Amino acid sequence: MQEKNFIYRLALNIDWFLMLSLAVILTIGFLSIYSATYSQSGLKYVTVQGLALGIGFVLMLVLASFNYQHYEQMDRIVYVLSLLLLISVLILGMTVRGTKGWFNFGFASFQPVEIAKIMYILVLSAFLNKNAKDAKKFKFLVYAFLLLIGHLFLIMLQPDFSSTLSYFPVTLILLYIIGVEPFYLLCILIFGALSVGIPLISTFLKLQYNLERGSNIIVYIYSFITSGYAWLYCIAAVIIFILALWWILLKLRMRVPIIYPILLCACIILGCAASVPVEKSLKEYQRKRLVVFLNPKIDPRGSGYNIIQSKIAIGSGKIIGKGYQKGTQTQLGFLPEQHTDFIFSVIGEEGGWLVSQLTLLFYFLLIWRAMVIAKDSRDSYGSLVSIGIATMFSFYAFINIGMVMGMMPVTGMPLLLLSYGGSSMVSSMCAIGILSSVYMRRHTYYKTSVDMM
Amino acid sequence: MVWQKEEKITYSVFLDKHKQILVFFSLLFIVLSFRLSYIQIMQGNYYRAISEEQRMYNTHEKAPRGIIYAADGTMFVENTFTYVALFYPFEEEKVPSKKIIDELSDILGRDISAAVNKNMEYGRVVKLADNLSLEEMFKIQEKKLKLKGVAVSKDPKRVYNFSESSSHITGYTGEIRADELKSKSQEGYKLGDYIGRGGIEEAYDKYLQGTDGGWQLEINAKGYQTKAFQYIPTQIGNSVYITINPQLQQIAHAALKNSPTGKGAAVVIDVKSGAILAMVSAPDFDANLVGTEEFNVYLKDKKLPLFNRTMQALYAPGSIFKIITVAAALEVLSLDPNWTVYCDGKFELGDRVYSCWNKQGHGRVDLKKAVAQSCNVYMYNLALKLGIKNLDEFADKFHLGQITGIDLPNEKKGFVPTPEWKKAKVKMSWLQGDTVIFAIGQGALWVTPLQMASMMSAVANKGTFYTPFIVSEVMTPERQLLYKHTVETDDSIIMKDETWDILQDALFESVESGTSQRSKLRSIKVAGKTGTAQNPQGDDHAWFVSYAPFDDPEIALAVIVENGGGGGAIAVPVGRAIYEAYFDLPPQALPVYSHTPQTEQKANAKNKQAAKKPDNKRKPN
Repeated sequence: MQEKNFIYRLALNIDWFLMLSLAVILTIGFLSIYSATYSQSGLKYVTVQGLALGIGFVLMLVLASFNYQHYEQMDRIVYVLSLLLLISVLILGMTVRGTKGWFNFGFASFQPVEIAKIMYILVLSAFLNKNAKDAKKFKFLVYAFLLLIGHLFLIMLQPDFSSTLSYFPVTLILLYIIGVEPFYLLCILIFGALSVGIPLISTFLKLQYNLERGSNIIVYIYSFITSGYAWLYCIAAVIIFILALWWILLKLRMRVPIIYPILLCACIILGCAASVPVEKSLKEYQRKRLVVFLNPKIDPRGSGYNIIQSKIAIGSGKIIGKGYQKGTQTQLGFLPEQHTDFIFSVIGEEGGWLVSQLTLLFYFLLIWRAMVIAKDSRDSYGSLVSIGIATMFSFYAFINIGMVMGMMPVTGMPLLLLSYGGSSMVSSMCAIGILSSVYMRRHTYYKTSVDMM
Repeated sequence: MVWQKEEKITYSVFLDKHKQILVFFSLLFIVLSFRLSYIQIMQGNYYRAISEEQRMYNTHEKAPRGIIYAADGTMFVENTFTYVALFYPFEEEKVPSKKIIDELSDILGRDISAAVNKNMEYGRVVKLADNLSLEEMFKIQEKKLKLKGVAVSKDPKRVYNFSESSSHITGYTGEIRADELKSKSQEGYKLGDYIGRGGIEEAYDKYLQGTDGGWQLEINAKGYQTKAFQYIPTQIGNSVYITINPQLQQIAHAALKNSPTGKGAAVVIDVKSGAILAMVSAPDFDANLVGTEEFNVYLKDKKLPLFNRTMQALYAPGSIFKIITVAAALEVLSLDPNWTVYCDGKFELGDRVYSCWNKQGHGRVDLKKAVAQSCNVYMYNLALKLGIKNLDEFADKFHLGQITGIDLPNEKKGFVPTPEWKKAKVKMSWLQGDTVIFAIGQGALWVTPLQMASMMSAVANKGTFYTPFIVSEVMTPERQLLYKHTVETDDSIIMKDETWDILQDALFESVESGTSQRSKLRSIKVAGKTGTAQNPQGDDHAWFVSYAPFDDPEIALAVIVENGGGGGAIAVPVGRAIYEAYFDLPPQALPVYSHTPQTEQKANAKNKQAAKKPDNKRKPN
């Protein structure tokens, strides 16, 4: 009776739009993985991915039926659990390609960082929701960032650079929603952009300089920046400009508190200062990989090769594609990592513009549904969690698809729900389960919901 | 109102931010969508082409060039095969490594790195070494394990059967150069192709080129073959039939080579069609050696063996030009052939003295004797009567200063000076002294041996010029006719029959009793004229032009022996040898004649000085 009741309520309340887009995306994903791997490895990859989907599907149903509001009450437990997961993988984990990030169960392996990302969204949302009234305080920001740093620190110990990337947009967007001063967020953005951007841009200029050595604007910029203390003068000029602007605004009787320009300047200086340790910690090949999308020709045999081949694959698909299992880039192995990070290139080559746009459309439909769920949630916690998940999906998609089309750095971020990878599949399905949980309880009123589940 | 615990205002603030974020996410996806459209629709064709190019791979099998047949049906130029070592890129190595190059250099005993670096192309087959012998090929096969990615395959190679005598007319082949590729890529030539250089190989390259073949393959990213689409067999180029008579060619070459200086040229033309029967330039080179170390010897040789003297070298015609002077006099002045001049060995014009080659003088000479003895004084008199305008006009009529139009590349057209040219060039007006030496073929007058042979054949034909040619027809390997030479005539010399008769008689007389006596044959009547071309760089060049048989001419020839001195002694025997070969006569001992070549040469040397003097004297003006 209970069981029948559950299925009945599930069918009645679940978001069928979300399920439709999920089904379409999964179908495209499985077909693409099959096409990309069948000729080499037979059904191996499709079977593993199917198994992961099965586990993910069960977890989705479980999480959909579990009331998400309990996460808010159990936020400390969830956070500690996530930290324990990340710590234990550092002790017990298996090392793959230099990253100690996998639990090995013999028959299968699991990457706990994938599930930790979802837990982080739950915990951060709970913290923000509980302390929403302190949003304007500085202490609030510090606590929020402490939560973030706990995860980042442990992930960087593995080290797994690309997995930390999704934490930043999720944190920033949730902070924005809860009402943190946008100016502070801007400062954080500037700090982050400078500390990561400076090493990358200098790497790019150096590589481009090595490539061209002719009379070119880039050569001039490079030789200017590397000559003496030119970069110091640049920073000083920017700071003086900010202060002058503030003074002019003051003279125009526009009262801007002095804290704003000072904060901005501090962020710029700190960002530049932070770029030095960031530059040291990033290895040469990592920096190369991150900038090569700006011009794949600076490293055509190394990191640029993937981008060049991926662009050829997508572009050569033209409007209607080369046909299923007929993509020469895919089938002949020109396309690297075709079943994981570059799965979208397979879709682009074999399905052409029509199927790729369809994939994009359904992916956006999924995110749009997550946003609708955020809007329809019966409480602010549900909204925050949903937006966090929507942000995660959006950024993964944007960075991955942007990467395969040569407009984003090569970061090694998979395309959730499409790329081959059991852990990310399971965690993505969990995220969908949590979204469903929020959606299914949108009409539940507090008075009548006390003894639900 | 959805949120149940929060205030209404909080929810509306949330809704605003929610909307902003949704717009932001939409923007991200719109950017992706636009980028996708740009790559797939705007740049689709470009990327499709690249993807096709990197999966398709054509193995290249060079086709042999067409065979060149001589007039008697012997293979003048044919093909053999040599072995080439090629590097096929594989998974680990996309370009031949230094180790492989060193190893191969070791086996072959020569450094191949320079040639390899020239051919190096990433991920493509690279030619490591060519012209491998069978032995070298086996050595490479033995060390196959060490030489990973190296394979030996067959490559056609040209064989020039008459390379000693005929490399100038066949030319040779060479790999296309980058600068040539730019202009020729539209004609279907591509990198690595061999094209003809010089001679028939260059002129008839289009016909001689075969169609290359090979496998059309599909390869994967590791460079392994995944599929073979089709095999296109190579197709040999078209057969070219030339008019050269190999026996005559070889005898002419031997005669030239055995002449005292071994430098010079000889051309034999069929007077009835313009077909070139022999065309020899000495010193020679061996077209079979092109591309080898030994070939560098020719490049450095100061005697310029690569130079085709028959049509690229310019010489003064010397006394041969007297044919034109006499023709002009007969035609324009209606000169009575019995008109005589007393030759005392010198000729005074103003304050200048121009001498005859015979210091003692020829005595009283009429036209026939003047031609036979090559008397300069007689010609000086004619020159003054004619004037430069008539002489220039007749030089032009006899096609001097014009290319003959032979079907070989890089023909020189020579030069005929005119008063206008002198004025423009040295800012001095034309003098009678210039006219006088012009009449005996000196001065700034330049001709090629081919022009002289062609002129001689026109004299034999009484004025009809046939455009000389060397290729009579081109046929496909299946013997289908592609090209047939059509005889082109040009009757530019319209003169009275009487003039021709007198001129021909005079030339006959030159062989019978004059300076060309050494070419006199027992059974065949020959007409001819010797000449001595002044050469500012050294000894004079010896000329002999001739045709035979006198009554019904068959062939005409021109011989020049560089630095040979007088034509009679040095050049005439070469012509004689050619006649003996052509008419199949037994060689006979040469009779000894009264005048020695030295006398003519010395006299001409003096004459040269005399001819130069007027210019020198007047220069200060």
